[in-house]
Amino acid sequence: MEQQIIISIGREFGSGGHEIAQKLSEIYSLPLYDHTLLDEIAKKTNLENHELRALDETKRNKLFSRTVKGMNNSAAHNLALLQFDLLKKKADAGESFIVVGRCSETILKENKGLISFFILGDKETKVQRIMNLYGLSEIEAQATMYDKDRRRKQYHNSFCPGKWGDSRNYDLSINSSKLGIDETVKIICEYINARTK
Amino acid sequence: MIAQVLAVLIFLSMFVLIVTEIWERHIVTLGCGLLTLLLVFGVGMQSIDAVIETLNVKSIFTLPFWYAASEAAESSSGINWATIIFIAGMMIMVEGMAEVGFFRWLCMKIAKLVHYRVIPIFVTFMILSSFLAMFIDSITVILFLAAVTIELSQLLKFNPIPMILSEVFCANLGGSATMCGDPPNIIIGTSLGYSFGDFIQNTGVLAGISLIAVLIYFYFAFRKELAKSAENVTDTSAFPEPKDAITDRRGFVISTIIFLCAVVMLVTHAQTGLTVAFIGTFIAAVTLITSGRKAPKLLKRVDYKTLLFFIGLFVVVGGLEQTGILNIIASFIGTISGGNVMLMIAIIIWVSAVASAFIDNIPFAATMIPVIKSLAATQGVDLSILAWTLAIGTDIGGSATPIGASANVVGIATAAKEGYIIKWGKYCKVMAPATIIVVLLSMLLIYARYF
Repeated sequence: MEQQIIISIGREFGSGGHEIAQKLSEIYSLPLYDHTLLDEIAKKTNLENHELRALDETKRNKLFSRTVKGMNNSAAHNLALLQFDLLKKKADAGESFIVVGRCSETILKENKGLISFFILGDKETKVQRIMNLYGLSEIEAQATMYDKDRRRKQYHNSFCPGKWGDSRNYDLSINSSKLGIDETVKIICEYINARTK
Repeated sequence: MIAQVLAVLIFLSMFVLIVTEIWERHIVTLGCGLLTLLLVFGVGMQSIDAVIETLNVKSIFTLPFWYAASEAAESSSGINWATIIFIAGMMIMVEGMAEVGFFRWLCMKIAKLVHYRVIPIFVTFMILSSFLAMFIDSITVILFLAAVTIELSQLLKFNPIPMILSEVFCANLGGSATMCGDPPNIIIGTSLGYSFGDFIQNTGVLAGISLIAVLIYFYFAFRKELAKSAENVTDTSAFPEPKDAITDRRGFVISTIIFLCAVVMLVTHAQTGLTVAFIGTFIAAVTLITSGRKAPKLLKRVDYKTLLFFIGLFVVVGGLEQTGILNIIASFIGTISGGNVMLMIAIIIWVSAVASAFIDNIPFAATMIPVIKSLAATQGVDLSILAWTLAIGTDIGGSATPIGASANVVGIATAAKEGYIIKWGKYCKVMAPATIIVVLLSMLLIYARYF
């Protein structure tokens, strides 16, 4: 692929956003960056991968952090900045890739090759999917869904001026529950193909 | 009574809002300052005199503000303009020094002088950090020192975290040694009428002895970590030359002279009668005149937000003072200590240290000054001893946690930018014991010297 293309996928927990990203990665033969980005960061940090995973996509705790001249002591905050920096470097180097979350629709906004999506879903479908994937009861699945979405929202909104899931921040927002994962992927591919013609 | 309740509510709200960072801290203090003027002085006290006294503008137009035959105390009530003008002047001077590459040159020069050996760099950078922080704000000291430490760690293949943590601690410690080293000291000095020499002879001695203790502590805490990762570098020809850090030779010489002049003026200000407000204004004016076309750039870089933060803060604390809240706190400390001065010292130093470990030490110190003044008046305690105790407690306590002092945040963030993430556990494991050692040592030294 000559033209640079960066596909950003924001997602609600249980909407299948990650699976959609994996399928797009296979279709377009592009590397997928999600928590795997941490592997790359782990090589140049003093922390182990599992420590970074615990800090990934989490909002800084305001009681335990402080900002001085735009700098902050929070490990979660600084890890997010390292990831943003790495994504920007890859984008500036002309690399094409798919990225899940990480405020990528805002961080890479200036890049002309960016196409951003937000995958949402109906509550019942998402809960069912979480129950199947993680072997949880309905109540547990619901609690997990609310908790994950709350964390993602807080993380996103602490770095970006636009709100998480607000359709004005993305090129296309789509409800994966209506058509299912495969059909949703097809619609997304049509949109990408139209944009990259 | 209503004025007291309002003053306390505004003060507590200010602290909560600063911690939550919903708005920038200067917006918070200015907003709370405005509320203090309107609600506490206007509605509660209905006193225009309290407003005038707190705004304290007329003090600027008096001779003692600029020149005092003997060091006169600024009114501790209301806005301490001497502190604000001095800090603004030093900010301009420091920007001028940074612009020409002074700090990077100094760090690289010292690294070269010790032949790029890790342990000697570790020790000399701690001393350098303390020394620079005696005259320059600790944020600037750590910004440059941490950046050079990371650069050297990549060349010499050592883990920079131990060195950065030690530098941060020493910057906070060095700041406690002088009147201009840390904002609480400037406020204490100008409010209570102490000179640079007074600080050096008291907190300076405490900081000097403590520095020896922390050098030993950090050496034993980190020696293995630094020794195992450091390689013996024999060929240093590819290393950056210190002189390459200088961006403007003429500017470098001028900046160095201005810095030395500032040091001399500060050290001798009790003898010359020049106040810190005069020194700040003079240093800023000379820096701007000699920097020529770069002057607007330097003025643009001044941290106006911090200056506005101070103005709002002084008004809010003025509200507490005018309504008598701080006298109530002072009599409470007097009561629980039962008039025992040693116990009073212990309470002030430990409460200041613990509070400063979690909240901004500037509002804490500004609030405590009228308290110790009242304590000295009512309990017959030597005010200067309480002042040195407060200075040490607030300056050193901030080192204990990552959020306790600005230098800590800057050091942690600078390291994180290069991939070295310092979490709370890692930080506190080394820094909290060092803080306890220094506070304890200082308390014992105060007992030994003054009782």
